[in-house]
Amino acid sequence: MRLAGLVENETLKILRRRRFRVVLLVLAILLAVVVFAQQRQRARAEKEHPGQNWRSRVEARVAQMERRLAQARQMPDSFARYMKFETGRLKYHLEKDIDPESVTGPLFSRGFAGVGSILLLPLLVAVVGADLVSSEFSEGTVTLLLTRPVARWKVLLSKYVTMFLFTTLTILAAGALSWAISGLAFGWKGWGAPVVTGFRFSAAGFDASAVRVLPLWQDVLVAWGLAWYSALAVGAVTMLLSVVLRSTAAAMGTMMATLIGGTILSRFASDWEGAKWFFVSCLPLPEYYTGVPTPFPGMTLGFCATVLAAWAAAATVLAFVLFSRRDVKS
Amino acid sequence: MKGEVVLSAEGLAKRYGDREVVTDATFALQRGEVFGFLGPNGAGKTTTIRMLVGLVKPTRGRVLIDGCDVRHEFEKAMRGVGCIVETPDLYRFLTGRENLEHFARMVGDGARERIPALAGLVKMSGRLDDTVRTYSLGMRQRIGIAQALLGDPSVLILDEPTNGLDPAGIREMRELIRHLADERGLAVFVSSHILSEVEKVADRIAIVHRGRTLASGTLADLMEGGARSLEELFLEKTAGETV
Repeated sequence: MRLAGLVENETLKILRRRRFRVVLLVLAILLAVVVFAQQRQRARAEKEHPGQNWRSRVEARVAQMERRLAQARQMPDSFARYMKFETGRLKYHLEKDIDPESVTGPLFSRGFAGVGSILLLPLLVAVVGADLVSSEFSEGTVTLLLTRPVARWKVLLSKYVTMFLFTTLTILAAGALSWAISGLAFGWKGWGAPVVTGFRFSAAGFDASAVRVLPLWQDVLVAWGLAWYSALAVGAVTMLLSVVLRSTAAAMGTMMATLIGGTILSRFASDWEGAKWFFVSCLPLPEYYTGVPTPFPGMTLGFCATVLAAWAAAATVLAFVLFSRRDVKS
Repeated sequence: MKGEVVLSAEGLAKRYGDREVVTDATFALQRGEVFGFLGPNGAGKTTTIRMLVGLVKPTRGRVLIDGCDVRHEFEKAMRGVGCIVETPDLYRFLTGRENLEHFARMVGDGARERIPALAGLVKMSGRLDDTVRTYSLGMRQRIGIAQALLGDPSVLILDEPTNGLDPAGIREMRELIRHLADERGLAVFVSSHILSEVEKVADRIAIVHRGRTLASGTLADLMEGGARSLEELFLEKTAGETV
C-alpha cells in the first residue's frame, strides 16, 4: 500500500495552497494583539497602584499563613489543604523571584489552551480541514484522483491522516506561539510553579476531592493535550462536511455556524439539558478540566471525551461510506 | 498484440431517477485502434465515460479492462487505463512536473521515471516547471495526456480532446492520438460531437444519441447503407430520434 506517497501528495497540496500558513499567521497576530492588550492593562494598573515591593508583601502572607497553620486545630481539612498549597506556591515564587500575581509565558499558554478550545482553535482546524476533500470537487481534480489505481477508501484515508497531521501541527503551533509571544512581554520562565487543578462544583457545592497540585508544565501539557483531543474531533466532523457538501465555502460556513451556534446554545440555553450531547458543548475540555463550571450538569471530563469520540467515529464512518459509494458526476 | 480486446463495455446502462441517460452501451476496444464515440452534446457520452473509469456506478452491465471488472477489481482494472474526463483539470497551483509526480505516486511501478520521456512526447519538457495556472488549455490537455500515460496503460480514454484547441493544436492532438495507437499499440477511446474530427482519426465509430448506440463499425461498414458521408449517415440515424 502506497499510503505514505498518498499522504505526501496531500501534504504537498495543503502546503502549496497556503491555507495553513494563513492559519499560523492569524494565530500569531491574534496572540500578539492579546498580549499587547494585557500588557497595557497591567501597565495601567501599575500606574494606579504604584511601587509596592511584592517580595515583602508575599513574605508577610507566607509568614501569616504558616502561623495560622501551626496553631489551628479546629480548621476544616479542606481549608488546611488549601493553606498548605498556597504557602508552597508562594514560596516557589519567592525562590524563583517571580511575582505570584503576575502572568508568565507558561501561564498565558495554559490559559490560552482553555479559552482557545471554546471557539478559536476549532475554527482554525475547520479552515484547514474544510477543503481537503471539497477542493478536489470544486477544482475538478477529483476525476483524476479517483480514476487512478488506488481504491477510494485509501484516497480518503490519506486525507484523514493528513487532517490528523495538520490538526496536530495547528495545536503544537498554538501552544508554542502562545508561550513564545506572551513570553516576550511576561517572561518565558515559571514552568515549575505549583498549580492547583480539578475543582468541581456539584449540587452539594464546592467539591475539592479531586483537587491535585501539579507543577505548571504538567498542567500545560494536560491542557494542550485535551485541546488537541477536541481539535481532532472537530477535524473529523469537518471532513464529513467536506465530503458531503463538496464545496469548501459551504463546508467551512456550515462548520462555523455549527461551532458558533453550539457555543451560543451551551451558554444561553442552559435549561435544555439535551444540548450536552452536542459535540460543540463538549469541546472546551481544558476549561472543564481546570474546574470551570460546565454548562450542563453531568458533563464530566470522561463524559465529554466519550461524546466527542462518538461524534468523530460516526462522522468518519459516514464520510467513508459516502465517499466510496457516491457517483462522481460533473 | 494488435486485435486483442483490452476494454469491453457490456450492456451498460445508467438511470437517474426515472430518466435513463445511457441504455445498453456495448462495445469493445482492441489494441492499436482508435475508437470514435460520436454523438451530440447530452447524448450520454460523458456518463458512459464516467462508467468506464468507475466514477459512476452503472445501473446495469459491466466494464472490463484487461479482463478486470472495474467495479470489483477497481485497482487492477485502473492500472490498464489512463483518461481525461471532460476538461483536463490539474492542480493549478502546482507545476506541471509536480502534477505528474503527484499522480506518479498514485500509480507506483516506476511511473516517476517515465515523466521525462512523456513530457518529451507531449512536447512539454520546456514548460514542466511552470505552474499549471500559466498554461494554455492545449498545454493542460497535453500534460493531461502525459499523466494518463504514466502507468503505461493499454487503454487511453479522451473526452472531447480537441475541444477549445486552435487548428494547429487540433492537428497536433490528432497526430498524437494516431501515434499512440499505431506506434505504441494503445487502444484510444475518443469521444466527440464533431463529425469531421472523428472521421479523421478513428478506425471504428459508434454513433450515440439519447443514450442509445444507433450504429457502430468501421467507416466503410457504416457507409454500406448508401450514405455518402458520415454527416449524412449521422443525420439519418439521429433524425427519427429528434422530436
